[in-house]
Formats: sequence, structure tokens, C-alpha cells
Amino acid sequence: MKNQWIEFLYGRVIVKVSGKGLERFLNVLTRDGLHIWNVKRHGTETITFKMRLRDAKNIRIYARKSDCSIRFLQRSGVPFLFKRLLKNSGFMIGAAIFLFIIFFLSNVIWGIEIKGAKPATEYKIRKELDKMGVKIGKVQFFVDNVEGIQRKLTNNIGDLTWVGVELNGTTYHLQVVEKNEPKKQEHLAPQNLIAKKKAIIVKMFIENGQKVVDIHDHVEEGQLLVSGSFGQEGKQELVAANGEVWGETWYKSHVKLPLVTKFHVYTGKEKRKHSILLGKLEIPVWGFGKTEFKEFETEKDVRKIHFLKWELPISYIHKTIREREPFTREYTNEQAEQIALELAKKDIKNDLDEDAIIKDEKILHKVIKNGKVILDIHFKIIENIAVGHPISKETPE
Amino acid sequence: MAKKWSQRIRNWMANKMDLPQDVMMDLPRITMIGQIHVYIENHRGLLAFTDKELRLLLKKGQLLIKGKSFVIKTILPEEILLEGKIDQVIYITENPGGTK
Repeated sequence: MKNQWIEFLYGRVIVKVSGKGLERFLNVLTRDGLHIWNVKRHGTETITFKMRLRDAKNIRIYARKSDCSIRFLQRSGVPFLFKRLLKNSGFMIGAAIFLFIIFFLSNVIWGIEIKGAKPATEYKIRKELDKMGVKIGKVQFFVDNVEGIQRKLTNNIGDLTWVGVELNGTTYHLQVVEKNEPKKQEHLAPQNLIAKKKAIIVKMFIENGQKVVDIHDHVEEGQLLVSGSFGQEGKQELVAANGEVWGETWYKSHVKLPLVTKFHVYTGKEKRKHSILLGKLEIPVWGFGKTEFKEFETEKDVRKIHFLKWELPISYIHKTIREREPFTREYTNEQAEQIALELAKKDIKNDLDEDAIIKDEKILHKVIKNGKVILDIHFKIIENIAVGHPISKETPE
Repeated sequence: MAKKWSQRIRNWMANKMDLPQDVMMDLPRITMIGQIHVYIENHRGLLAFTDKELRLLLKKGQLLIKGKSFVIKTILPEEILLEGKIDQVIYITENPGGTK
């Protein structure tokens, strides 16, 4: 009776003892340290009491010595419950299977929704997803994570500018932005072509319109290049001037490049670790031991486990630890100059149209100071300087 | 004489040092909660138990408890907790040692 819950845990039995010398029998039992409680007398020659299951196993030995007979009436407590549970294990198995099925189904991909894509692109995306293994009915675990899918889709499908992949429960939502092919200009409003930059004109291809300037002319920004109005004074006809005017333009760029750069490179050695995260407790599953890398970078891929619509506080973590080492890059002055120049070119090209050509570059100023090469470069570039400028009807030019 | 002396010293010590008598002198300690519970420590064994009567062996003499619907809630080598409706608690000292 000290703690009935402990007794419940270990199991207890009700024992019925009948015979003579019951009191003596009880004395023997208690003196030998057997726990007895709830002793009740029923009639002259019987008593019942409760005792521990452990002790009940030895009670026969004592009973044999005295002239009492023993019967067990009732068994209760965890061991017996457990036994019954085993007997009815079908229920348990059923429940377990049920849970497992729900678990499994909660972690399966049930839908892929693609928004914002033309049917053709959507088809392409679906095909690409199929290739990656993202299909309805697949387990999310074995599929790339969202970022991976996003990256692969944008890399592999040329028509996409951007794709946002979002995993919502069991459905992937893909938000697609397609590259907008420039629309064909069907009918343009009357326009002139004007210069977008100060330039010297090199070539002209005029499809439509009256050219105002000529090759080798110097034009200022905003200056009229091709006029969209024809005809004589008073009877003017307005058209959309169209064509290309190639001019030589000038750019200046300023580049700084350190001679010595330190950065990290991966050595190619890596270590993988798998673990299960329970709340905040991380249990390693595979990949034990400390990483012996001196410098490393850890990439962590966390997969949440779902149950129906909820995210469980259990997740699966896959860590990739990559060794890296410091690397020092040193340039000689000539090399640095060369590379700075390349950099400047690349920089310039970013600002220019794709068909622009760098005709010439000239280093205006070169300093090597504080371990840095500082260059001022002058670029001569040939590009299309013509831009459309609508003619308003009220003030025809 | 010697026994009497030791008894007297024990008694004196229990008095002067404020020690409980049952510890010093091996007497039973009987705690009753109303009529429903009796808790007896320092007994020497169960002699008889029915639902109307409980007879315990003490170091000196016996203890007889009479009442109705007795249930021994706990029994340990030197302790016993009895539950029921208690009418009488009687010391029997005529025949020390008790009968078995």
C-alpha cells in the first residue's frame, strides 16, 4: 500500500487462502518481507488478500509448508494488461498500420499546380519534373528540396525567367514567369528616331523614315536622327520611322583589383551526416564522429515530416560537410592589369545591348597602390543609338 | 535487580532527554483515527484475525481489538494498519508470550 501505482505497474493479485493456521501463515509471509495488504476474512477458514505479482510467484513454497491451500482470484496491473494487449494485438497492429498509412500518405506528393504558364511551357515543366522524379504519388523525402527543384527548372527550361516553387502540405505550387518574347510591332504609331547618347554615327540602316543625319556626324543626346514625317510643308505624311543607327559612343570605367586575394576553395572532400531532429534534440542516424576537417562549410537540408496537414516537430536532416581550404591568388602587375581590363569589359557589357561591339579600349590612367591596381579605361563602343520617340499630332516636327 | 535498574535508567533517559517512550522501551505505538483506523507499530506477530476481532502479540502480553468489518490494510513484520469499525482496544497481560 505504500504506493499503489508502483504496485499497479508491477502487477498485483488477489490471493484466497483457506485452511488452518491462517494467522501463522500471514506472519510467516510478512516476516519474509512479502508485501500483503487488504487482508479480509471470509468465514472461519478463508481469507483473501492482495499481494505483488513477484511475491505471488513464491507463495506456493510457503503454502506447502503450512496446511493452507491457495487460489488466485484476480490479477490486475500492467503485466496483465500487457498480456491482454498481446492477446488482442490485432487492434494494436491495426492502429499502428493506420497511423503509418496516414503518415505515409501525408508525405506523398498529391498534386502539382502550375500557375502562370502557357500550356506548352506547362507541358515542358511537367516533363522536366517527371525527369526529376517529382510526380504525383512519390514520397517527398526522395525528391529534391524546393530550392533544388527551382534551380533545376530555371536551368533546364529556357522559356522560364523565374519559377517559384512552394510546397504547401502535399501539393507543389509552381508560380511561373515566362520570358516575354518581344511582341511583334504590328502597327507603330508615328515616331521619330532620336539618339539616346552622344555619339558619332558609323552606320545607318533605315527601313522607314527620312534620315536627318549622316555617317560621321556628331550627334548629341536626344538629337533627331530619323524623321517620321514625309512630304512637303503643309502636306506631311506621318510614319513610324524605323531602323538602326549605329554610333560610336564612349564610356569610361574605373576598376580596382587587389593583387592578392584570399578566398576559400573546396577540396572535394566531404562528409555526409543523417540525423533525426525531435523537437530540439538531434539524434544522429548515420555518419558519426567529428569532422576532421580544419575548415569546412556545412550544408543542411531539413525535411519536415507531416501528419495530415500538420508539420510534426520531427524532421529529417541531411548534412553535407565540405572541406575547404584557404587559397591565395596573386597576380603580377601585368596579369592584374589584364584581368582588370577584362573585368571592366564585362562590366561594360552588362550595361550595353547584346549586339553592341567594343571597338577599342584605352587605358587612361594606371596606378598600383596599396596592393591594388586601379585602372581608368576609356572604351569606344559601337552600338545602336536609335530610340523611338513618338510624334504627337498636334506638333508635327 | 539489574533488569529493574536498566528499566529505570531507560525510563529516566526517556523522561530527561525527551525521547519517545516507545523507542526507548519497546512498547507498541497505537495510533487511532477515530473509530475507523488503528495503526499499531512494534507488534510481534498476528495471533488471530477475523472480521470482528484482531489479536496481536506484543513484547509483553497481547493486544486485542474488537469491532466490526475488519480489514487489514497493510501488514508488515512490525506494523499493522487495521481498518473497520473499532469498538474496543484491550491489553491482555495475564499470559505473557501468548498462545499460538
